[in-house]
Amino acid sequence: MSVALLVGGLLAVASVVLVAAPFLREPVASDDRLLQPDAAQRRRLAHAEERDRALDALRELEFDHRTGKVSDEDYRTQVGDLRQRAAAALRQADG
Amino acid sequence: MPDLGRAALVTSFLLLVYASAAGVFAAWHGRRRLAESAQNALIAAFASTTVAVVVLLTALARHDFSYSYVAQHTSRELPLGYTLTAFWGGQEGSLLLWLFVLCGYSVAAVLTARRAGREVIAWVVPVLGLIGSFFAMLLVFVASPFATQAAPADGAGLNPSLQNPYMAIHPPMLYLGYVGLTVPFAFAMGALLARRTDERWIVATRRWTLAAWAFLGVGQLLGAHWAYVEIGWGGYYAWDPVENAALMPWLAATAYLHSVMIQEKRGMLKVWNVLLVVLAFCLSIFGTFLTRSGIIQSIHSFTQSSIGPWFLGFICFITAASLALVFARLPLLRAKTRLESLVSREATFLYNNLLLVALALTILWGVIYPLVSEAVTGQAATVSKPYYNFFLHSFGLPLLLLMGIGPLVAWRRASLRALGRTFLWPVVAALAAGIGLLAAGAGSSRIGVIAYTFSVFVLASIVLEFARGTRARRALGGVGWGGAFTSLVSRNRRRYGGYVVHAAVVLLAIGVAGSSAYQTVRETRLHPGDSMNVAGNRVVFRGFDTKLEGNHRAIRANVDVYRGGDYLGRYRPGKNQYFAEDQVSNEVSIRHDLLTGGDLFMIADQVNADGSVDLKVLQKPLVNLIWLAGLVFVGGSLIALWPDAREERRLAERYEGVTVRA
Amino acid sequence: MRPGGEAGRDYNLGVARRGSPARLIVALSVAAVLAVFLLYTSIAGGGTPSLQPSQLAGHAGRVSLVGIVAGQPTGDAHEGGLHFLIRDRHAMTSVPVVYKGSVPDLFKTGREVVVDGKLQHGTFVAVPNSLVTKCPSKYAPKK
Repeated sequence: MSVALLVGGLLAVASVVLVAAPFLREPVASDDRLLQPDAAQRRRLAHAEERDRALDALRELEFDHRTGKVSDEDYRTQVGDLRQRAAAALRQADG
Repeated sequence: MPDLGRAALVTSFLLLVYASAAGVFAAWHGRRRLAESAQNALIAAFASTTVAVVVLLTALARHDFSYSYVAQHTSRELPLGYTLTAFWGGQEGSLLLWLFVLCGYSVAAVLTARRAGREVIAWVVPVLGLIGSFFAMLLVFVASPFATQAAPADGAGLNPSLQNPYMAIHPPMLYLGYVGLTVPFAFAMGALLARRTDERWIVATRRWTLAAWAFLGVGQLLGAHWAYVEIGWGGYYAWDPVENAALMPWLAATAYLHSVMIQEKRGMLKVWNVLLVVLAFCLSIFGTFLTRSGIIQSIHSFTQSSIGPWFLGFICFITAASLALVFARLPLLRAKTRLESLVSREATFLYNNLLLVALALTILWGVIYPLVSEAVTGQAATVSKPYYNFFLHSFGLPLLLLMGIGPLVAWRRASLRALGRTFLWPVVAALAAGIGLLAAGAGSSRIGVIAYTFSVFVLASIVLEFARGTRARRALGGVGWGGAFTSLVSRNRRRYGGYVVHAAVVLLAIGVAGSSAYQTVRETRLHPGDSMNVAGNRVVFRGFDTKLEGNHRAIRANVDVYRGGDYLGRYRPGKNQYFAEDQVSNEVSIRHDLLTGGDLFMIADQVNADGSVDLKVLQKPLVNLIWLAGLVFVGGSLIALWPDAREERRLAERYEGVTVRA
Repeated sequence: MRPGGEAGRDYNLGVARRGSPARLIVALSVAAVLAVFLLYTSIAGGGTPSLQPSQLAGHAGRVSLVGIVAGQPTGDAHEGGLHFLIRDRHAMTSVPVVYKGSVPDLFKTGREVVVDGKLQHGTFVAVPNSLVTKCPSKYAPKK
């Protein structure tokens, strides 16, 4: 019975401490803002994803070509455009 | 001690409510410390729920029958293992298990999926908190595992058919799956609430979704295996509502796993994806609602069950709220890219999705049909095996075929000429197999031949994928065949792990087709000395043996099996009569043929007073492929799940560059 | 030489902007699924009515009888047929049933069962091997 009380008490204390911890650590926070990425950061993220997607598509095309899923003609048709997209995406992401 | 359990659950409930309320406030107003506090509340709720779990486990281990739950589901002579696993043997305990797994997943996901971004996590916490609050609320106010009573001398015991290792592990596996689907759902809602249009949350929750899906799949196979060896009617799936309750979310989750790949690669299908994850989650809650409320028996038992209406209300709320959120964020989810060709990998993924969802929805319709028909015509009507088999064949066979087609088609656009070349060998193999099968007499079942032929096609295309990939990798130079193979798989774990999973599904299809379309069933009354012939096996009955065990009497029919001139062994199907529970259980005897993968399944259907037995024997070809498929499935999932340092570095570089700096 | 900002350029190839084939596929597929579904239900009918003994009168075709086993079963399911009574869940209306085939382990007086078959001359003649006992649900509230 006393074990139950002890555990119960510990649990209650621990819960309160855990929940209050952020406020106990920083009673007065210099910056309490939960920042959202601003427009510039969102754009950069979108560009980074676009760049990775373009590079990935290029890599897949090369691999598919090497394993025979994409014929030589299809490869020639698609690779130019994909390379342009990748280059553009790289420029946007790094620029 | 029960007070401690109750107190722990109340604490969990309060903490989860706090996590929801404070979490919403913090995310809405952008308060960092409050958001952290809400997140900590989830951790504290997990600790508190763990205390409740320990209390119940202790009570079970101690055979403390003052707990109503312990008295209802265990007895003194029950072995310790089953006494402990009786934890999830009843309503209240299984709800506690659900809450425990949910809190565990919530904490683990929120702490490890930081890549999703702090502002998304700030919304994920209240979503998880809200779902957790519901289950905690049920445990505190509606179905408490800590109800007490005057302790009886002994408990009611566990249903003998549940005293089986499979049944012991099957619920936790299923729950790890069901509950696991909460994580991608919460992150999807979190991303929508935080107005994110990027794929971070998908990348962050990818492994969670895959793991939950794998657990759900394995859990179902374990259940099927239990049904096969324990219930012993000769089958493994009865299209029972409770079985379907697990299959439907699994199908939706399978669709989601595939379409998410398209979103990552091409940025399309965002709305479809989010709807799929909502569907998968709602089906998982609906599934547990079906299992618990007894609603499918009849609409009358629904109103008698206390827990049913709560679940129904929760499902309606979740569905309405998530659909409203999706609708509100629709402009954000508009894709910039379009499907370019109806013959492309994106398109095959879309067809795959449509078939999976169609199958899930037709199963759903079949499950709720009694309710709908009663509501509309006043007369309840049921559908059974023919209905489900029709749609399984109509949608499942094309799905099987697509598994072979998809990997061979290029992204964006595939030319028919290229397709012709890549498909050549798989099609030839399939046709050869088809002709061979027809020659061997498999034409007795059209569906069987189609299933087998498609399976050969898929297996051939998988083998080719591995072969071509390895050859291409090797041609790059520097490695031999073995090195090229490991390098290939290692650099593309999700893809090749996925192919292994496809192979598992094919094995499953072959096993199911063989054991259902080509099985032989014979039933005869045999007196000692009589024999019967089943698919070339001669089964001779020699007489009964009765033996008294601890808690039951075991009656066994001694049966000798011969094939041609060879003696294959003695088998002893029979029945167990349990004294305490006053129940009889069927104990089947199965002979596994390791060479052909088939089983000779013997059931002592009826033990007669004159010493004869009504013996039912089934010969089930290839059925063991189903269980083998389970192992291959686990292997493939592990490969796909395996952490990839190179990929982690790439993702870190992509996302850390735009992390919000405090 | 391309101008600097490529962000606005539309990289869609070959497909008209106004309608994505994806939407067309989805619409066609939904129609196809519905067609398959309607085809099935029109051929195979709308399910088997699920009736209790008191509701049996007047139903000529195959139905699914639900109820509680009453009295003592007699006979042999594997030879000559098992004879037993099924009554309503909450009433005493009962109907005699004759059944051949496998009898589930949980079958006994007082258990709820489901069996398919047809009412013929006052006796419910069951479809062989269609007898199912409802597992006393471990989740159902204790009555």
